[in-house]
Amino acid sequence: MDLEKLRETAAEVVAREDVKYLIGWKNGSYGYRVAPAFIEDAEGAAELIFSPLCISNLSTYLTLVEKLPLPRGQEPDTRKIALMVKGCDSRAVTQLLVEKGIERDGVVVIGCPCPGMIDYDLLAEKYPETEGLSEVKWTDDGFLVIRDGEETNVTRDELLAEKCRLCRYPNPLISDIMLGEPVETWEPAEDKGVEEVDKKDVNGRWAYWEEQFSNCIRCYSCRNVCPLCYCQDCILDRLNPTWVNRAVNFSENTAFNIARAFHLAGRCIECGECERVCPANIPLGRLNRKMAREVRDKYGFEPGLDPEAEPFQASYKPDDPEDFIL
Amino acid sequence: MKTNENPYIPYNATVEDTWFETGGERAIKTFKVVLEDDEARQNWNHRPGQCAMIGVLGVGESMISISCSPTEGDFLRFSVMRMGKVTQALHQLEAGDKMTVRGPYGNSFPLEEWKGKQILTIGGGIGQAPMRPIVEYVKANYDQYGGLTMIYGARTSGDLCFKNEFEEMRKNEELSCHLTIDVEEEGWDLNVGFVPSMLMDLNPSPENTIAITCGPPIMIRFVLENLKKLGFEDDQIYTTLENRMKCGIGKCGRCNAGGMYVCKDGPVFDYATLKAIPEAFA
Amino acid sequence: MSAMLLNKEKWPDFVGKLTGKQLWAPQIKDEQLRFAPVAEGEEPALDYKNTRVPPKNVVFPQTETLFRFQVDGEEVDEPKLDEEVVLLGVRPCDARSMVIVDKLFSWDYDDPYYARRRELVTMVGLACSEPGLNCFCPSVGGGPASTEGLDLLMVDLGENYLLEAITEKGEALINETKELLEETRDANLEQKEKVINEAAQKIKRSIDPEGIPVGLPGLWEDSLWQRVSASCLGCGTCTFLCPTCHCFDIQDETEGFESRRCRTWDSCMFEEYTLHTSGHNPRPSRLERTRNRINHKYNYYVDKFDVIACVGCGRCINLCPVNIDIVEILKQVKEAL
Repeated sequence: MDLEKLRETAAEVVAREDVKYLIGWKNGSYGYRVAPAFIEDAEGAAELIFSPLCISNLSTYLTLVEKLPLPRGQEPDTRKIALMVKGCDSRAVTQLLVEKGIERDGVVVIGCPCPGMIDYDLLAEKYPETEGLSEVKWTDDGFLVIRDGEETNVTRDELLAEKCRLCRYPNPLISDIMLGEPVETWEPAEDKGVEEVDKKDVNGRWAYWEEQFSNCIRCYSCRNVCPLCYCQDCILDRLNPTWVNRAVNFSENTAFNIARAFHLAGRCIECGECERVCPANIPLGRLNRKMAREVRDKYGFEPGLDPEAEPFQASYKPDDPEDFIL
Repeated sequence: MKTNENPYIPYNATVEDTWFETGGERAIKTFKVVLEDDEARQNWNHRPGQCAMIGVLGVGESMISISCSPTEGDFLRFSVMRMGKVTQALHQLEAGDKMTVRGPYGNSFPLEEWKGKQILTIGGGIGQAPMRPIVEYVKANYDQYGGLTMIYGARTSGDLCFKNEFEEMRKNEELSCHLTIDVEEEGWDLNVGFVPSMLMDLNPSPENTIAITCGPPIMIRFVLENLKKLGFEDDQIYTTLENRMKCGIGKCGRCNAGGMYVCKDGPVFDYATLKAIPEAFA
Repeated sequence: MSAMLLNKEKWPDFVGKLTGKQLWAPQIKDEQLRFAPVAEGEEPALDYKNTRVPPKNVVFPQTETLFRFQVDGEEVDEPKLDEEVVLLGVRPCDARSMVIVDKLFSWDYDDPYYARRRELVTMVGLACSEPGLNCFCPSVGGGPASTEGLDLLMVDLGENYLLEAITEKGEALINETKELLEETRDANLEQKEKVINEAAQKIKRSIDPEGIPVGLPGLWEDSLWQRVSASCLGCGTCTFLCPTCHCFDIQDETEGFESRRCRTWDSCMFEEYTLHTSGHNPRPSRLERTRNRINHKYNYYVDKFDVIACVGCGRCINLCPVNIDIVEILKQVKEAL
């Protein structure tokens, strides 16, 4: 992507009177880090980047912002939020529209066709992070890693993030402004992660998730980073009544993780953020993709594609499969 | 002060008497309780302004102001507004039931230091709970203080706590007891108006006086403003803070307002200290 | 106090000697390095920078039963804590964090659970020879071979570990394993100095905290808090992974007829943490919570206990999902002073 064009467009957008700020990506504080940027002027727009390191899904900020009571007499700020999205991120925006979590008029969606993102862990393992800022660029068949001035060509297969291997929608499905030309889609890889768990028998699966959930430290980063976990009053925080105890053990951790997986069934747009941010390395993507696969295979529904769609969990069709109902 | 060796283990206490102070969804119920353990009861020795963690096993605990003065006897009183899980469970308790008590916690009103001074308490709603032990303490040691003025208000007469005690207090010539409600009401022949306005109407002299206020944040704000207008210095004004608490002993970290742990450094603060705490009025 | 050498070939024997005590050491489990109890025959991994989750749960478990009771019962049962633990391979920053947290847990009231677990633990440290990218311990009073909080310090000298007793507990451990140890020579001590100096040279990040604790109150309304908190997700990663973060929740939990009162790690970054039952929240947004986190570590704790509640381990930087970087925040604080 042409960075000049991106920054120019962003500057134009934030200069608009009806736009409050723009959320994009900028270089982080060191190494391969990229940080969310909240841009209000041309100067800020000049910091924006779009690179194979921009893996985070910024649409979560649309619903994360606190709506505090206003001082008496003060009118609410109804200006639009501009947001940079990749293909997967755009599905979150669409799903939020379906659920009426946001209003179409409230956002300016800036689409960024995405050739695929890098898995940070793979990258840092092979090419250790340094204290200076490193750069990663797309090449015709992979990535160029520029670290302390040293350039290394890496094949796409070596570093591509799992969610991108499985991706079927690299081009934004909804946008007001599209930056650059759509990328060519690729044949999604087989979902080996889900298959690995699926192959196990029921006891094996239970043992697998028991081990994984036992590692959970209940930091709720998966919930908070999720663009579709935006209930104002989350069942997990509730104390009166207490649905999930605060104790951190397999039983409560499992209640938490299963509640979240179920609440995301037919809603998860597979951006992979939960798994990326988990400090306990729990393969949450496998859980959510399994649910998504079930919904897709059994109900023919995929979230985040059509802003006019009925929300999956809130709609009913007479021919919905019911053979699994006991 | 002696507490259990393990400060997290509560004492068992028996509810001797209960009554409702106010009604409605957020009713206030008063509990008169007695610690079961003789030694614990003898060593309790709370001071006006201190709090205790009271609760129900299996439900949890809440930090509640001790609303009686140690001069009243070997029992404890708590006035509890029905708000969340724990206070709902407490409201279920009747005379003869058990509750748990830990404490007493926090600092207290410096009543020793105040000897010889005029005491002015300004309370609103449930905020009268920490005022009550001051009133009772000063009443019991009246010759050591320069006088006692009490201003207390609530939204309606039905929202006033400790109503049954006021008749007698108003007859007591040693005390100056002033009640007010926010709006006119049939059968109410006392003052109508907000607490801060009543304070201005009474126009107390700041000379050799200590003012203590507790009530809803908005009331406290205007009372503080008015006390300053009346010429009170920062170190003549006291209030109490409350925050969410879990341990009550300065460990769990929940209750800090700025660098102050309300459970240990508070709940009583003079205005001079309070002004330096950035989150005090948040 | 004595110093001895342990040839690395004898490492399994050394570990085997530490029987009768629960041994906690870094181990790879589920592809993740963590402090975990070492079962017989298992060997701790010592070739590591640091674990993602600090070993604070050894003295401050994420879930601690305060007492148990029967539903509708009046009598409570306190748990008995009497198992001795050896924390093997703890990094100097994590050991130092416990010394810092001790001050809070002994402030006026002794926290009996924490105090007891601290008594029962023997801290065997491993000096850092390869510090991590975000380590900044020297900036906040630590160092790659700091001995604060340790009973025994191990330094990797290549073929051997140098074992230095710091306390009586450490001395006792050396005595228990004496038959496996060799006397040190002057050259070993020189080598140790070299290893430590080289490690210190490798620490790239730093902040001079001079002026921060006294200056923070004046920056309460500064726009920097808006800047540094805008991207915060409000998750508990930074606090749960922080070795000095010690806040907790207390809840009663019942299963069947058995109840317990327990405490669990809590985070000031959660909305619910300060939420009053009335619905009022004195820290209503991520801005106030971020400001509180930094102030608590670099101002409130310094005021109360005369030490910064940060050991420079870099975990909050390593694992923040949105690159909120405490060193960068502190730099901005210094610029704003």
